[in-house]
Amino acid sequence: MLEWLIPAASTSADEIDWLFTLIFWTVGFWFLVAQGILFGFIVKFRRRPGVRSQYIAGESKDEKRWISWPHYVVIACDVVLIAGAIAVWRDVKQVIPTPDETIRVIAQQWAWTFVHPGPDRRLDTPDDVVTVNELHVRNDTTYAFELSSLDVVHSFSIPVFRLKQDAVPGRVITGWFRPTKTGTFDIACAEMCGLGHALMPAVLHIESPEAHAAWLGDRTTVAAATSGSRS
Amino acid sequence: MSMPATAHEVTAVHALESVWSRYVFSTDHKVIGLQYLFTGMAMALLGGFMAYVFRMQLAFPDQVVPLYGLVTAREYNALVTNHGSIMIFWVAMPVLIAGFGNFLIPLMIGCDDMVFPRLNRLSYQIFFVSAVIILISLVVPGGGFGGAWTAYPPLSASAQYNHTPWGAPLWLLAVALEFVAFLLGGINFTVTVMNARAPGMTAMRIPIVVWMIVIASLVFMASVGPLVAGAVMLLLDQTVGTRFYDPTAGGDPLLWQHLFWFFGHPEVYVVLLPATGIVAEIITVFARKKLFAYKTILGTSIATGIISFFVWAHHQFVAGIDPRMAHLFTITTLLISIPIAEMLFAFIATLYGGSIELATPMLWALAFIAEFLIGGVTGIFLGANATDIYLHDTYFVVAHFHYTFFPIGIIATFAAVTYWFPKMFGRRMNETLGKLHFWGTIIPFNLIFIPLFLTGAAGQHRRIYSYENFPQLSTPWLNQLAVLATLALIVMFVFQAVFLVNFFWSMRRGEKVGANPWNANTLEWSAPSPPPHGNFAAMPTVYRGPYEYGVPDRELDYWPQHVAS
Amino acid sequence: MSPLRFGVPTAAACAVVLAVAGGDATPAAAGDLSRGAAHYRLCAACHGDQGAGDPSRGAPAIAGLPPWYVEAQLKKFRAGQRGYTPGDDTGLQMRPMASALRTDEDVAGVAAYVASLPPTPHPATVTGDAARGQGLFAPCSACHGPDGRGNEALKGPQLAGQADWYLLAQLGKFKSGARGAHKDDATGAQMRAMASTLVDEQAMLDVVAYVRTLAPAGNAK
Repeated sequence: MLEWLIPAASTSADEIDWLFTLIFWTVGFWFLVAQGILFGFIVKFRRRPGVRSQYIAGESKDEKRWISWPHYVVIACDVVLIAGAIAVWRDVKQVIPTPDETIRVIAQQWAWTFVHPGPDRRLDTPDDVVTVNELHVRNDTTYAFELSSLDVVHSFSIPVFRLKQDAVPGRVITGWFRPTKTGTFDIACAEMCGLGHALMPAVLHIESPEAHAAWLGDRTTVAAATSGSRS
Repeated sequence: MSMPATAHEVTAVHALESVWSRYVFSTDHKVIGLQYLFTGMAMALLGGFMAYVFRMQLAFPDQVVPLYGLVTAREYNALVTNHGSIMIFWVAMPVLIAGFGNFLIPLMIGCDDMVFPRLNRLSYQIFFVSAVIILISLVVPGGGFGGAWTAYPPLSASAQYNHTPWGAPLWLLAVALEFVAFLLGGINFTVTVMNARAPGMTAMRIPIVVWMIVIASLVFMASVGPLVAGAVMLLLDQTVGTRFYDPTAGGDPLLWQHLFWFFGHPEVYVVLLPATGIVAEIITVFARKKLFAYKTILGTSIATGIISFFVWAHHQFVAGIDPRMAHLFTITTLLISIPIAEMLFAFIATLYGGSIELATPMLWALAFIAEFLIGGVTGIFLGANATDIYLHDTYFVVAHFHYTFFPIGIIATFAAVTYWFPKMFGRRMNETLGKLHFWGTIIPFNLIFIPLFLTGAAGQHRRIYSYENFPQLSTPWLNQLAVLATLALIVMFVFQAVFLVNFFWSMRRGEKVGANPWNANTLEWSAPSPPPHGNFAAMPTVYRGPYEYGVPDRELDYWPQHVAS
Repeated sequence: MSPLRFGVPTAAACAVVLAVAGGDATPAAAGDLSRGAAHYRLCAACHGDQGAGDPSRGAPAIAGLPPWYVEAQLKKFRAGQRGYTPGDDTGLQMRPMASALRTDEDVAGVAAYVASLPPTPHPATVTGDAARGQGLFAPCSACHGPDGRGNEALKGPQLAGQADWYLLAQLGKFKSGARGAHKDDATGAQMRAMASTLVDEQAMLDVVAYVRTLAPAGNAK
């Protein structure tokens, strides 16, 4: 149901949306029941002249079942939701599938640097393409990313992927995603990182293999033309 | 001056004291409680004003905000940081625990004062100093600290990164001093309840709110130690150049996150428990019902206090902790919903068979249950590790914790103030103004935060001063929701004037009441209104539990704890 | 206890608190300059309240720079024509800050405010041979003027009075392509060509040492 609000553009997004929907209906139903009973009691037991309140201690087992049974329902729902959460988390975060390509994401105050592997699809080779605030990926391709930060804690957030991972200085954190939809989407920093925290947006371009190859072609020509003077 | 005659007689010595020593340097628990309450209310006005300023910026970006001016990214960060810090550390904590804890504990357990009155005074004085320091930190060169109330290093550790060379250390110093103040208060509460109860006040006859304040104090004292240590390390990093949190020198930024959240999550229950206790007292009085399953409620609050120590890393699911560890914290987090849910069920069950009078305090208490349920169920989305990946640090989180903290810090406080006002000042608040204020607060409150659930679920992150640079995350309908939330906030603030007028007017002109205007059972209602220094004319003896309402075969539908038969 | 005793001080405290919180408010009727001053509060975090700069942050002195130049540079940062290179930390910090100014009017407002700030002198931080630098400065004088006071028509900003470490850093950036290499940056391209005539580090130091001997004009127009 999150897709009513924002597109889902990765395999993980589909799984997380499924879990969101599961939680929504499970807790939503019991939430309405609880509110219904609360308001029902408020209306039914309004003060009326001549009617005294009942004396119920709620200490006997017989009386306590009115709260212990709902309590068991909560436990049962918790078990279902925990199972769902663990299953999705395992797929999304814990088990990283063998990637087709790896990209490097470097956060700093207040910019994102992306190292793309280039046409040979391997990092740390001369055809790597380095960009600032602009990430280009191929659709239907499994990517691993190596996330690091040069200064403070940032958080690499791509809402359409339902992806969020803090970038912690001193660590390289690995994650993955597999885009499922072409288009142009926002990348944001989700952890307070100083003055420019709100001013470090980056753009995610999910391209068809052909469009991606064309972009890589452009970039490598530019890179070759200026590489002499850059270094 | 409206000092009641009885008070004069009992406190002949105190009456000779100067105003200065009676109201500023008093050791009377009630005066100290009111000092905390009034300081908290003043800080709430400041925290609310900050919310108004940054919400205006979000609704109308780059426009001049009336009464403030243009909000730059720098000021926005300082505003949200200090709004959060102030509302939790200088409003919810002092009002709920220190304010009502101080005012109520000796009165409800039947003793003349706290066991350590001077320690109590020192606690408020340190707290007051901390409040002054946080105010100073807002106007020093470089401006107030803007690194979020969680203050993650390395951002918070170095002025090179946070650009607030004075604001950051002062903020931290203020927070650390505030912790010291509440440590002293917590020790006092616990010792007082353990040692100074009236004869007959056995453990199972203690009003539930007193239990909850004690449990909260214990949870606070047990959790705050690591954070004070962490804060000292951070202060050293900021000021003398140690590198506890600097990864380039072998430190670790995640260390702070663990120390902070090991305190930070129990802190939620530290303020929640007193709030639920207040609600329990009020619903029993206004439903004329015995509290349903007293022992179970006590058990659930102890269980909540204990489990709260094992959930902290759910704030760090995406912080780079081992992914396998996240499962453990999802399980504990969802487990903590069990005692809290059971407590709420017991409150709802208490209403069954009652004779419910919807007086203002009762409206607030019932609103607490209804609104806190929303906060509770939306917490499940965030406690489940996989959905938290997406929702972490979005407005969904902001909406969720305002649906817990607003009931705790604001709704329960209004419930308590309207309920105990006659005891504090010997006069009643105006009921019509009270109801007007209630509806003028509750309706806009929901209109502020329900839209934020939507903007959060649509991907908007918190702590972003303007969405103009994010084409996809600032669609027209999202902007309209932001405007709706902001307008609702302004309406809510306008209605707070009704409360202030009612409060200060009723203090002097409200209808005078006797000792027990609500026909309640607990001991504070056996003392005069307002109680003199020393509280009780004759120290009370306790004969029964606090919730004997509607006892069959009795003429009256209540049976005060101190009445022999 | 008397309610009054609590009420009055509390109300007074609230009033003080609100006054402090709203203390640095700007008047609602914001002209270009006052709105520029308000926006400048963000800039001040690095460039200082008076625009004197902060070498420890790599933030140059900007007080008194001509408005046309500040405006042009802010627009280049906003458009990604400056601060586009990985590793150019100060450029990467300045680019988002410039993007906080959403409209051309706001850019102009900040530029006007920066121009109104009084320039301050800077201590020497690098050493070079000013006499040799004078010779090397000849090509620079075409746009920046023989006295280094700039030439608006040729889009050459005043160099006299700027901190030497900043001039040196920018020459380095022009040479490496970290500044001026964007395809839409025409003046940057000119400057890159000129910077390339300074063949080595010593040449850059010398020319910077010479610029340091030049006297700045007053507040530029």
